[in-house]
Amino acid sequence: MIAGKLVNLRAREFGDAERNARWSSDRELLALTGHRYPQSLAAIKPAVRGYASEPLSHADPRFAIETKDGVYIGNIRLSDVSSDDRHAQLSIMIGERSYWSKRYGSDAVRTLLRFAFREMNLHRVELYVYATNARAIAAYQKCGFVQEGIRRRAYYSRGVWVDVIVMSALACEWSEEAR
Amino acid sequence: MIAGKLVDLRAPEMGDLARNTRWINDREVTQFLSVRYELSSAAEEAWLRDVVSAPMSFERPFFAIETKDGAHIGNTNLFDVRPEDRVAEMGIMIGEKPYWSRGYGSDAVRTLLRFAFDEMNLHRVQLFTYSFNHRAIAAYRKCGFVEEGRRRGARYRQGRHHDFIVMAVLRDEWRLRPDA
Amino acid sequence: MIEGKLVQLRAHEMTDLERYAAWFNDPDVTRFVGKRYPLSLLAEEAWLRENTGKPLSYDRVQFAIDTRAGVHIGSIGFNQTFPEDRRAVLGIVIGDKAYWSKGYGGDAMRTLLRFGFEEMNLYRIELTVDARNARALACYRKCGFVEEVRMRQGHFSEGAYHDGIWMGILRDEWAAQQTELQAAP
Repeated sequence: MIAGKLVNLRAREFGDAERNARWSSDRELLALTGHRYPQSLAAIKPAVRGYASEPLSHADPRFAIETKDGVYIGNIRLSDVSSDDRHAQLSIMIGERSYWSKRYGSDAVRTLLRFAFREMNLHRVELYVYATNARAIAAYQKCGFVQEGIRRRAYYSRGVWVDVIVMSALACEWSEEAR
Repeated sequence: MIAGKLVDLRAPEMGDLARNTRWINDREVTQFLSVRYELSSAAEEAWLRDVVSAPMSFERPFFAIETKDGAHIGNTNLFDVRPEDRVAEMGIMIGEKPYWSRGYGSDAVRTLLRFAFDEMNLHRVQLFTYSFNHRAIAAYRKCGFVEEGRRRGARYRQGRHHDFIVMAVLRDEWRLRPDA
Repeated sequence: MIEGKLVQLRAHEMTDLERYAAWFNDPDVTRFVGKRYPLSLLAEEAWLRENTGKPLSYDRVQFAIDTRAGVHIGSIGFNQTFPEDRRAVLGIVIGDKAYWSKGYGGDAMRTLLRFGFEEMNLYRIELTVDARNARALACYRKCGFVEEVRMRQGHFSEGAYHDGIWMGILRDEWAAQQTELQAAP
């Protein structure tokens, strides 16, 4: 378990599947995280069993986000981890809406960034976010992410094309104290 | 889950199996579908397992139709989705007969259209129906589908040939509708 | 065969194998392509077998670039396509160095852009490029791509981190460009 201030990051467990299926039926949440199609429990279960069965490693680090009381509220992961370039892409979803806007997400991002830089020895962590998602952009900035540019009208969601903002945090700029 | 006014569209689950099997063997239901033969529950199970096991995607969007009380009353899907043409064909079945002619099917169609146009970015949704299926044709028309033509005598059901009617709705005209 | 002015795009064939194996082991060619490790003939053969074994389709748009005279000089394609976004990620390699800086790559790009917008009905085509690769950047700009994002220290090679650049072109921009080209004498 990787301890943050408000949350802990733990390995994914098979028992997460039911909650994941519930989150997968939340349209607004899906739209924010770039997913389109609701997924059946039958499709989610083998995927979660797959994550839970493999020891976590450099290749596909996926974590469950738990509050300090042990409430499972979301997922966070690094994908496209390149060992040579030492970079990875971060994505996060707080599925439990009652934990939105209460800094649980930011704490999870900070905790994973610290792990990425200090334990995985990564050099760069990047993320993609809809330009319309002002709440998330502000939160990422507070965590130390810098906006690098805009991929114009790269995604289609809710009947319109949306700009996608690219942000990154570099190990050489990141200092734990400043955060 | 994709919310409509009377119904929600959700991912299908293995728990739907018994209902699907019952519906697909109900001749009153299937007289309007392309289904002709009886289907064993094993065959239906294999088919459903195939659908629910793969993550839902552009190639095969398939939804269970649920009332707001959580009653599973039918299924609807898009198939033959072609990315270049941005065209898909629609299918729908309300298996629970007490829910016929009460606006549930139309609401499911409207909800599916919104998903097809606003999320999947399609340009045209089309469907085929039998000329004797007056109830469905009227409902599709209300949802914005336009009758484009008929393939004369293209389907044989209940002892005689029937015309197969092509209906379609384009995104641009759909966007002008108040229910869009 | 998809005709450009200087080149034509065709499906890959197994007979292209030895050329690809040679090109993807040439450091001059791979320097900016993100291919770090040497490629075995067997691995290249497996890739080619996979790509020639199935018909090209929306998810699988990979072409060999031939000159109009039939000389195979490189490859181009969409490495990913996203049907809902109507978006594709483009990749190109001119492997035969004798054909560098002579407009062949640019013509292949324009030919694939036309195919992407007019036949595949795409809305946006994007790519990433090493910020040091001035020749490629100039070529992409000339084809109408716009620099959108500078990924700071996005990749590592030759002992240092280097920036990467996202470029994109939208359907409307491409169409306007075609109109301009037609209006020009």
